[in-house]
Amino acid sequence: MSQLEQLATKTMASLLSLGAEEAVVSVSEGTHTTLQRRDGKVEQATEASTRGLAISLLVDDRWSNHSTSDLRDDALATFMARAVEATRLLEPDPDRRLPPVQECGRGVSEETLDQLDPHFSERTTEQRATEAVELERAVAEHAPNGLVSSSTFVADGRSRAVMVMSNGFSGSHEGAWFSSGGEATLTDGERRPEAYAYYGARYRGDLPSPEAIAIELRARAHERIGSGPVASGTYPMILANHAVGRILGILAGPLSGGAIHQRRSCLADKLGETIGASCLTIIDDPTLPRGLGSRPWDSDGRVARVMPVIEAGVLKRHYINTYYSRKLGVSATTSGSSNWVVRPGDRSPEAIAAALPKAILVTGFLGGNSNAATGDFSFGIRGVLLENGAPTRSLSEMNVRGSVLDVFKRLAEVGDDPWGYSSVRSPSLLFADMEFSGA
Amino acid sequence: MPPSDPSSADWFADFGVNRSNALAVLAAATRHGGDHADLFFEHATTTSLAMSDRKVNRAFTSVDLGVGVRVVVGDQVGYAYTEDLSLESMLRVARIASEIARGGKAVAPVPSSPRALPNRYPIARTWENVALSERIPLLQAWEERAFSLDPRVIKAELSLADTDRRVWIVCADGREASDYRPMTRAFVNCTVEDGAVRESGGYNLAARNDLSFYTAERQARLVDEAVLRAVRSLDATTPPAGEMPVVMAAGSSGILLHEAVGHGLEADFNRKGISVFADRIGQRVAPAGVTIVDDGTVPFSRGAINVDDEANDVERTVLINDGILTSYLHDNISAKHYGVSPTGSGRRESFRHPVLPRMRATYMEAGPYDPREIIASVERGIYCETFANGQVQIGAGDFAFYVRHGYLIEDGKLTRPVKDVNLIGNGPKVLEAIQMVGNDLVIDESGWTCGKDGQSVPVSQGMPTVKVAALSVGGGTR
Repeated sequence: MSQLEQLATKTMASLLSLGAEEAVVSVSEGTHTTLQRRDGKVEQATEASTRGLAISLLVDDRWSNHSTSDLRDDALATFMARAVEATRLLEPDPDRRLPPVQECGRGVSEETLDQLDPHFSERTTEQRATEAVELERAVAEHAPNGLVSSSTFVADGRSRAVMVMSNGFSGSHEGAWFSSGGEATLTDGERRPEAYAYYGARYRGDLPSPEAIAIELRARAHERIGSGPVASGTYPMILANHAVGRILGILAGPLSGGAIHQRRSCLADKLGETIGASCLTIIDDPTLPRGLGSRPWDSDGRVARVMPVIEAGVLKRHYINTYYSRKLGVSATTSGSSNWVVRPGDRSPEAIAAALPKAILVTGFLGGNSNAATGDFSFGIRGVLLENGAPTRSLSEMNVRGSVLDVFKRLAEVGDDPWGYSSVRSPSLLFADMEFSGA
Repeated sequence: MPPSDPSSADWFADFGVNRSNALAVLAAATRHGGDHADLFFEHATTTSLAMSDRKVNRAFTSVDLGVGVRVVVGDQVGYAYTEDLSLESMLRVARIASEIARGGKAVAPVPSSPRALPNRYPIARTWENVALSERIPLLQAWEERAFSLDPRVIKAELSLADTDRRVWIVCADGREASDYRPMTRAFVNCTVEDGAVRESGGYNLAARNDLSFYTAERQARLVDEAVLRAVRSLDATTPPAGEMPVVMAAGSSGILLHEAVGHGLEADFNRKGISVFADRIGQRVAPAGVTIVDDGTVPFSRGAINVDDEANDVERTVLINDGILTSYLHDNISAKHYGVSPTGSGRRESFRHPVLPRMRATYMEAGPYDPREIIASVERGIYCETFANGQVQIGAGDFAFYVRHGYLIEDGKLTRPVKDVNLIGNGPKVLEAIQMVGNDLVIDESGWTCGKDGQSVPVSQGMPTVKVAALSVGGGTR
């Protein structure tokens, strides 16, 4: 038994002896390193080993959560005693129960999830430094016009977590992650517009090459030159694959069991109804090999399973954890999103754009928010005006607005270019007649 | 036993840390040299209680303990941290941080001694001495009030959270400071229903204070504002789209300053040449009469600090004086770069994060106009009253903030309520477009949190009523 497992098991025994009826103990440890360079030298190097312990308790039908990074024996004993004592002061909540052990466990093997790059443990400080220099060199070789300053980074980390539940379930999970990217700031009159290109992956080898990152960064930087607003009105919107997460994110609030229970979800009564175009299918897939959002079980310990969220435009599932399933009297699904996989279409975004006399390509967002109760959203955007697929104007100081209940029905086409560097794996999307405000 | 003075550095003796081993850790950190090195010890305990469905049925507590070790060479930073305060563990991370100065010659750190600091948040009782049984009745009373205020309230969620945070900063140059930083924050969120229309609204209060912060007036305001905001949304509509005059209400409208000006004046962005305000010190950036400050000394405010996270004194920094750009917000690295004194703006989220120049309480000084006169001067525009969040692009200067509630202004009068709209503009252009400044400065008491480079720190913001000639309103075009 590893040290983490020993600590989790010992903590569970203590909590039960202190009077907990049910409990969950999670213990984790990890390391991470970030190396950031700017203008030819290291700007910041950060390295850490970290650990922590979290518990959830049911005492006399009362529920609470606690965490600590002070793992000294005496401190832990005091921490647990206080946690149990505090829980007794709450009001009872009979809906707080762990899921049945039969519903807990590993959905897929660690091998299938493939979260740990076997080469991670061989990485050295020198190797990271070399990678950072290579990326910086590539960005310099492909420097955008008018460059004021650029920075690059390489980062990686590894973590291991153990979960022990009083219902009999226990398990451990390990993973690594890698990230790299760059930022570039240009002169453009009195403005100094900036561009970013960030990438994440579970395997180092799945990240784009330094040259690919540098070329993408240059393209995004050049796109920012001479930006301004065009006239307010309705335009087709092509949403670049790497920017889709922000729009899909407006679904997260109203799909949650908490919002439904608090009656502030505009999607509470929409299960089985059409809320999007027939070309929209979103799958929550925690089993995706090497997925950044993959996991063997959810935060309740429930077996991770592939779950359709929207299928051919029809809303299939809410996110209902164990607690809200009892509160709402519905079946539990899962506690929160993992990887969102949007089913791709047949055409490239370039081919889609070429067929449109005029469209706004949105490549990023600035500010904005949404209202889960009504579905209304309003976001600032960055992007490009396209005419017959050709860029004719860089756009800034513009907003796009709409409603969760309407925007996905406006989805006209899904591209063939799924983004592979985040937990939202979506191709570019074309929406018809979106409301943009500008000049 | 814990010392009676909550800000005493002796707090960390309980964890086996003292000046002698701090000096040893600093020696390890500077074994290859370095212009500066510091240790940031932190111990924070947080308690949060939440109420829903008429029950105080959720509690969360946390303990966060650790030390961050920083070594600075020129503008290069080596940083490492650990949650384990054993000498062995601290020496290990110090050696990691020292690698940034690899190839240099060891410098001996100077033994440190404590120094007296002003106390901008003197409290009678730390939060660890407030029993849960004292907090629970507060939540129950707030919920009772929420349901009694309006029959359309169908759900209410409430929470009360607080933190006792102790920090001890020890620098290789012999400077040292310790600070006890309390924080409390209360939230009320209501769902209201009128026929088929359902809306939600919330309000929160926060301060570096103890339980006495929750006066009868504040408790009433906390609940009344949440209910009012939810109810007002029932009748609110989407405003029209496009550029139009905007009147920012007194108080949380300081979000405009935070996004349009504040971030761009953080000196790290300027020394790197990547802010739209780089090289503009001494220039006119706003009309005469516009004075903007960032102030770490506002008593009990969420953005107040007795000492910054590099052990520097904290000041009221005038950023723009009567329209002229006068100062950036500095940490040690940028102050050295520009040859000026630090402004006490070096802050970090926790021991897990290196120091950055950050805002504290950002506000605009009051001007001459009656707020009613300002509204009356607008033929057609938007009055922005409450806000959710904002963002800025430092180099381009473009910024945005999300308006939860406001009003249309028609013929100089507030008419229809509007809601949920993003406003976008360009920082330097908006500064130039400030046309009227009200005489009613309010520093907002809500719990604002500022994000930068993945770090969140508590801040405050304030504003008198202000008229901006034009901002782009992300409203409807259909």
